[in-house]
Amino acid sequence: MTYSDNHELSEQERAALAALPRELAPSDLLEERVVRALKNEGHFGAASPAQRSWRSAAMKIAAAIALFAGGVATGHYAMSQQPAASAAVRQASLEKPAPTVNGGAQSVKNNETVVAEREMWL
Amino acid sequence: MTVSLAVTEPGNPLLVPSGVSRARIAGSSDAVLVVAAAASGDEMAFRELFRRHTPRLLQFVTRVLGASAGDAEDVVQDTWLRAYPALVTFRNESSFSTWLCSVGLRAALDSMRRGKRRSFEFLLEDDDAPLDLPHHEDRMDLETAIASLAPGYRMILVLHDVEGFTHEEIALQLGIAPGTSKAQLFKARRVMRALLTGREKNDVQ
Repeated sequence: MTYSDNHELSEQERAALAALPRELAPSDLLEERVVRALKNEGHFGAASPAQRSWRSAAMKIAAAIALFAGGVATGHYAMSQQPAASAAVRQASLEKPAPTVNGGAQSVKNNETVVAEREMWL
Repeated sequence: MTVSLAVTEPGNPLLVPSGVSRARIAGSSDAVLVVAAAASGDEMAFRELFRRHTPRLLQFVTRVLGASAGDAEDVVQDTWLRAYPALVTFRNESSFSTWLCSVGLRAALDSMRRGKRRSFEFLLEDDDAPLDLPHHEDRMDLETAIASLAPGYRMILVLHDVEGFTHEEIALQLGIAPGTSKAQLFKARRVMRALLTGREKNDVQ
């Protein structure tokens, strides 16, 4: 085949260019690759990354609310148990004999003894 | 408008649709498939479009990329990812194949200049520089000669002489002046002829 240096293509050149193949078979995996990539972008009914992240955020918020509610319930339970325990302590303190007037006099007497002993030493 | 050609199950790409649906898809025009894929998200309609047009798109992209044709399938994937959301803008003013190739051309250009952040101008050979004709001892076949051209030459020669675009259309696609396209084509043809004739290169110069 000879090629001229004219600006225009020769008939031979045109024919050679027209005879070039127009199609090339892709690999078998390309179609699945493209469809999967489109699904990852949220096409064909699949959730988009934005939708997935929104769902993920909603799940986290729901979990946080559940955790908070659990804490509140536990606190309420603990509070409901506390009055009974306080009553028991109060009852026990009531049953203990209160210091009497004589006891107070005894204490004053002891103090006087200590003072007297100290003066003996000085 | 809701158009559905096949009942597809989301999340199961390997689901084989019924024979009737398959036959309907296979017999549908590109325009119907485009509407079904774009408006209704019909996966099987999209797959049919993919099977019909990917071989031509892959050949086009491979030729445009030349020596870096190893990335051709990545560029084809990128082309479909760009084309699918844009299907709603397809107006049947040109054939679907031509429209898809124009999307593929932009994807190929982006692939070639990735990281360089420059326009198509970076691919063009300097008009004032002397034409650097190749020094190959052996004659090349046409396909190899096209692949061996500098990117700026190759792209315009493929678009004009192989794909049949006009200089105005090429200028529009590449963002250059029609005159630039003509000048590049003239040089591209000279280099291609030198590659094809091998030892006769000096005669061409």
